[in-house]
Amino acid sequence: MLSSTFEDYLEAVLMITENGEKSATLQEVADALDSEVADVEVTTSFLIGEGYLEWVPGDALRLTKKGKEIASEVARKHRILQSFLTEVLGIEEEAANREACTLEHDISDETIDRLSSYLDSGGCPPPGRRAGCRWGQDACTLLDCEEGDTVRVAAIRRPRRNRRLLDLGIFPGEVVEIRRKLPNHSVVVRVKGCDIGISPEIATSIVVESCP
Amino acid sequence: MRFALVGNPTVGKSLIFNQLTGLGVEVSNYPGTTVELQRGNTCFEREIVEIVDLPGIYSLEGESDEETLVRQYLDRQETDVVIVVANATRLERNLYLLLQVAEYGLPMVVVLNMVDDAAKQGLEIDPAPLRDLLGVDVILTAASLGKNIDQIIPAALIATRPSEVEIPYDHHIEAAIRSLGKMFGVGRRGSLQALQGFGDDPDLLEAAQTIADEIESRHRMTAAQIIAANRHNFARELADLTVRKETPPPRTDLDSILTRPIPGIPILFGILVGMLLFVFVVGSYLEELIVEAFDIFMLQPFIALGLPPLVEALGTAIILALQAGLGIAFPFVFLFYVIISILEDSGYMTRAAFLADNAMHQIGMHGGAVIPLTLAFGCNVPAIMSVRLLRSRRERIIASFLVTMVPCSARTVIIAGIVATFVGIGAAFSVYGIVFALIIITGLFLSRVTPGEQFGMIMEMVALRRPDPKLVARKAWARLSEFLFIAMPLLLVGSVFLGLLEFFGVMAIFEQIVEPYTMGLLGLPGYSATALIFGILRKEMAFETLAILAGTADLGAVLTSLQLYVFSVVTVLFIPCLATITVLLREVGSRITLAITIYTISLGLLIGGLIYHILA
Repeated sequence: MLSSTFEDYLEAVLMITENGEKSATLQEVADALDSEVADVEVTTSFLIGEGYLEWVPGDALRLTKKGKEIASEVARKHRILQSFLTEVLGIEEEAANREACTLEHDISDETIDRLSSYLDSGGCPPPGRRAGCRWGQDACTLLDCEEGDTVRVAAIRRPRRNRRLLDLGIFPGEVVEIRRKLPNHSVVVRVKGCDIGISPEIATSIVVESCP
Repeated sequence: MRFALVGNPTVGKSLIFNQLTGLGVEVSNYPGTTVELQRGNTCFEREIVEIVDLPGIYSLEGESDEETLVRQYLDRQETDVVIVVANATRLERNLYLLLQVAEYGLPMVVVLNMVDDAAKQGLEIDPAPLRDLLGVDVILTAASLGKNIDQIIPAALIATRPSEVEIPYDHHIEAAIRSLGKMFGVGRRGSLQALQGFGDDPDLLEAAQTIADEIESRHRMTAAQIIAANRHNFARELADLTVRKETPPPRTDLDSILTRPIPGIPILFGILVGMLLFVFVVGSYLEELIVEAFDIFMLQPFIALGLPPLVEALGTAIILALQAGLGIAFPFVFLFYVIISILEDSGYMTRAAFLADNAMHQIGMHGGAVIPLTLAFGCNVPAIMSVRLLRSRRERIIASFLVTMVPCSARTVIIAGIVATFVGIGAAFSVYGIVFALIIITGLFLSRVTPGEQFGMIMEMVALRRPDPKLVARKAWARLSEFLFIAMPLLLVGSVFLGLLEFFGVMAIFEQIVEPYTMGLLGLPGYSATALIFGILRKEMAFETLAILAGTADLGAVLTSLQLYVFSVVTVLFIPCLATITVLLREVGSRITLAITIYTISLGLLIGGLIYHILA
């Protein structure tokens, strides 16, 4: 795990190089981070040594594949935090940006994922009301719902294999009603006025969130 | 002129096809009835119009056999006009497919069927907005009442314009459509399909894949999901304009009983056992009537004529064949077909599939396998064809094995005609017990050894409806006529052939050779081997042949109860009939067919031998 300074560097390079497609000079990086070229040179040479950055002809820097992965992840966290701070909490753009710069290094992947799906859902309470619901592999699925629940589909795992669901109208964003749930976990959902019978192993690939 | 019918499963396409062409295509109330193209001609104002009934599908961009078939058919542009049939009671979901078809740019006519059901559910359908937005003719019909069906052909004959509707896609998708169009010169539909991985041009597919990946990483939804969501949302807007919901009259929700474990599962078993019992009791009663009538009015007067021996032997063979065919097989076959047709048309099969989903998982398939397994009670041939509703080859192989083991109506003839009549009804049901146990054991075994993947069930619970007696009778008759016109001649020829062999003493030689083996293994006389071999042609022939060779229909007088029981068990398990083998070859290939054949022969001989040696 890199320290927050190093993460900031990689993030800055990502921004300057526009998703790693161009290259960045030391001066550009120093400007972006508001520091001296000499300091920047020390840190970047460490990052080059660790294989996160590399030189390209013309005295410029570029992210390696490894570096880009980290930088993109930090940038994503930044974006999500920033929009949470501005859109939900109503903090000013500039202040939110500074706050996001600090928080982005320490926030866990799980929290960021939940925050992201919370924002995507337009403010539905996260699916935490049922015990044992965790994002990732153990997220709330159709199987965690009870008969009579109305839920919104959040995601469908293995979308190519489950193409039929899509064609029957079960896709992310659609609201479905659980009409029947057998003790052995086969479910019937009502979507678009039609009842669809679904096997347990397919129901478990439909990630849902509760809905007002 | 050629018109093609396209639509979701169970929207009444086949019924409309039948009414337009006067042909007898099978109509059922579960997805997957029509698995091939059905063609029929009709004459309208001295012009011959060919109508093609395409299989019912949910989407043109899926990977199932039916979806691929329809997609390729429309790609080839072989049809002059596409007639899209939609279910008015489930319009929103049906419009999704309609919009996909509209993108093909073929002249189109829209038929909103089942408006009678829609009215009953308090839905008011106004075709005008749909007509304006799509720019094509929209006809409201009620196929089960025959209402407005006569407007379809005239509308299709003057339909020259494709629909001008354009679905608004997400701006990333629209951008992708433009880029792909510029780079490869493909149209809107070609680009959309390429983004979802369908098409023949590898360069186009590769470019589309790159763009689709980019879109997926931005949206956290696949391109296919976004496209489908856009279409569904547009379909919802169209449906909202077209359908006005009034307060629906209160209706009893049958699904609250049918799809709960209690009482749903007892009902399921009740239906299965009730079906067998009904066929047994009523079938046996009818059988007795017919057999007796044949004895009194044909067989006895014929023998009383005192004709020369050869003529008498031939005549007797013919009369016995007729008696066996009409008197024994007919009641059972017909009753089974009536009951299965009722089950199919009612929509209950999808409920049975849902309830049995878990149990079917145990034997390596999903709930949908209940449909072929139930159909198999009538006849294995359509059952094997419906195995296609399972998605993977693994599931189809397992289902094919199990379906060929289910006692079809012809084998019921053996069980009812031999065991129930001469041994007892309890013994008859024990044969079913043995067969079902073997089916379960085979399923458990195959689910562990068959390679390949398993897909779960995603099945639409179709609307429950009261089966129309006319349609049920017509369907049962159509299936029965196959028996009468294909099986009966076979029975007659086989019977005469046997009669001749018997007359010239050939049979006696053959029987002498095999008798030691059949006696040793199964405790059966040599002529039973001949009966078993004839059973390969048609299962019911085993019984009829046994009667002819034994020289009497009263088998109880010449064979012991144990012998009759063993004979029945062996016949029921032994090798699928010729028609089943033919259809197996087509559906699962020669290797699996051979495996099934060898397996069933060994199983029949093994179980028969075991029963004989334990009970003797």
